[in-house]
Amino acid sequence: MRCSPRNSFAAAVRLAPILLAFAAAAQQPPPVEELLRHAIELHQKGDIAAAIPEYRAYLKRVPGNAMARSNLGAALAGAGQYEEAIVEYNKALEAQPGNASVRLNLSLAYYKAAKISEAAAELERITAGEPANRRAVLLLADCDLRLGENKKVIEILTPLERQSPDDKALIYMLGTALIRDHQADRGQVLIDRILRDGDSAEARLLMGATKLSVQDYAGALADFKRAVELNPSLPDLYSYYGMALAATGDTPNAETAFRKELETNPNDYTSNLQLGILLTQEDQHTEARERFEHALAVRPGDASARYQLAALDLQDGRTEIARTELEKLTHEIPQFVEAHVSLATAYYREKRKQDGDKERAIVLRLNAEKQAAEPGAQAR
Amino acid sequence: MSERHWAPDERGWTQILGSICVDPCTSVAQEKALRLFAAFFFLLLPLSAAENDALCAACHASEAAHHRATPMAQALERVESCGILAAHPNLTFQDGPYRYAVVRRERATILTVTGNSEKLELPLLWAFGRGQAGQTYVFEFEGALYESRVSFYNATGALDLTIGATARKPQSITEAAGRRMDWLGARDCFACHSHNGVSDGKLHLESVAPGVGCGSCHGDVEKHAEAVRAGDATGAKLPHLAALSAEETADLCGRCHRTWSQIALSGPRGIPNVRFQPYRLLNSKCYDASDLRIRCTACHDPHGSLETNLAAYDRKCTACHAAAQHGKLCPVAKANCAGCHMPKIELPGAHARFTDHQIRIVRAGDPYPN
Repeated sequence: MRCSPRNSFAAAVRLAPILLAFAAAAQQPPPVEELLRHAIELHQKGDIAAAIPEYRAYLKRVPGNAMARSNLGAALAGAGQYEEAIVEYNKALEAQPGNASVRLNLSLAYYKAAKISEAAAELERITAGEPANRRAVLLLADCDLRLGENKKVIEILTPLERQSPDDKALIYMLGTALIRDHQADRGQVLIDRILRDGDSAEARLLMGATKLSVQDYAGALADFKRAVELNPSLPDLYSYYGMALAATGDTPNAETAFRKELETNPNDYTSNLQLGILLTQEDQHTEARERFEHALAVRPGDASARYQLAALDLQDGRTEIARTELEKLTHEIPQFVEAHVSLATAYYREKRKQDGDKERAIVLRLNAEKQAAEPGAQAR
Repeated sequence: MSERHWAPDERGWTQILGSICVDPCTSVAQEKALRLFAAFFFLLLPLSAAENDALCAACHASEAAHHRATPMAQALERVESCGILAAHPNLTFQDGPYRYAVVRRERATILTVTGNSEKLELPLLWAFGRGQAGQTYVFEFEGALYESRVSFYNATGALDLTIGATARKPQSITEAAGRRMDWLGARDCFACHSHNGVSDGKLHLESVAPGVGCGSCHGDVEKHAEAVRAGDATGAKLPHLAALSAEETADLCGRCHRTWSQIALSGPRGIPNVRFQPYRLLNSKCYDASDLRIRCTACHDPHGSLETNLAAYDRKCTACHAAAQHGKLCPVAKANCAGCHMPKIELPGAHARFTDHQIRIVRAGDPYPN
């Protein structure tokens, strides 16, 4: 069983153009409407490639038909042309800003195009108007989970969990957010609830994630391995498995695990980022860059992905580009030790000794502060 | 007592070859197995760094000859040709319940670990380090490479725990024998102690040539030699290392001796980082990224042996700290600067003292900086 709400949403979206099609077909078609009728017919038959030019031809003559534009968006999304679908959905929403179905489709197109923050923004607009729209709420939680907004996920899902205490998908998502937010005790309660129904991949994944967070790598590996046996298609499973494998030094298998996650879940931020790091270590910079860029597309502005790209630029001799990004990063996050280290290197390469010395002094200070804050530092 | 033998008898080799074949990188693993087989059964003579660098010696005879005598060129040996193990054919050590024996049998050397009613016999494959401080061994077990938990130390002429092993209490006889090397760790060890073994970011044990070679620093020397033979001056170009700045030189040497960035990011902190000279040097007050007088090669000849006469370094110091440039000169001594300003520091567990490359005014009772 694939527990994520994504599949049910996908089904809903597949239905959307059909419902709109019935609405359109109920009217007596004037001659120009024959084009639209034919487009819908093709779309319903699944001949998306043929339906798209029919929709386009109709919309050339009747550009203001929001439903036809939305149908074109759905056809384009069905053909995997998400960027074009986004354009059409947005045009449809200009005419009908309150149409939640079209907005949900738009958010799904954003989601599929790895524009998770844009998807979340659209979903927030839907849920603001329709707080009971469960599909939108669950998809919003899924987006926030991907964006690392764990507290938001907890806030969104906690009331729903009280209403539906047996909804495994919801519990799984909430449990993941709680564990990532270091609320292991609350997470454990949810794991126990899942385990009441017997051993399951979801429970194993949550247990493994909890162990991973306390650096019990052997324990985490055992749980992830069992989860893979129970349901290898569980979203995020191979991502976690990869992290546990990488933590134990088994980088070849970690790489395989991240790739498996990306096969079914190409917008997984962690797998993209971690695979990029492994590829960098293997000197496969071209593919590493693609992974980091994808991770950055999933989480725009993400400091880790930006840092990895800058570090890659530095390694590849693009010192000026790297330096510019590292300056931004250290300005935004003054405690970012790695960025200061790389920035010092960039300055020295540009023969800017004073700036390099300044960055190195910052690194030494930050490291000393970190050391002083470590447990036992006072005793030492 | 249950016994597991990994000596080269028929049963042992079948098991070893079998375990290697489950390696995801089958072709490499098979070649590895064949190489192991050949090394132990046919006692093939290993290729040394010197032999691999014969190519360069044809034109650069002096540099090659000097380099062959350096510890860097001998940073790795195949166990069958290891001088230290030949000179010490029967080494033993006891740590808690575990007893270790490193015994030479003809050209093979077997590590035997016994304890808690178990026994493990493992043929050692590689000897890391020339033995100036110590030498650590690598063996293969169930398809993975392991770093031996015991090392040979030159100062004591005996075995002791490998640096880093003191912190870990073994939970099994396998852990008592050694630390399983992760894939990247193994690659990086061989990348620094040998040449020709790492390509496309991956370790290829079958092509490892022991010791730091010309190509380790100079790049693709084979391509260079081919181009020279063909009279192609453009294709013969290698990076001009003599033109590197202090920072660039520290980064080049730091590939193996660790860069400032690596230690700053990942440690170790405190005295254990005294081994990582580029990091220490770059923390010196007098370090200047663009001043050639402070680069690694200003004091050390990468093709030659380490100069141990302190006085020989004085003129490196006076290249900057001369009366003409500094109003205030050292009030304590006029010679052997490094003796005070670069003190030797005992690295716990290493049975060796390392020169601290963080050049500074050392005052009695001052803590180790960093």
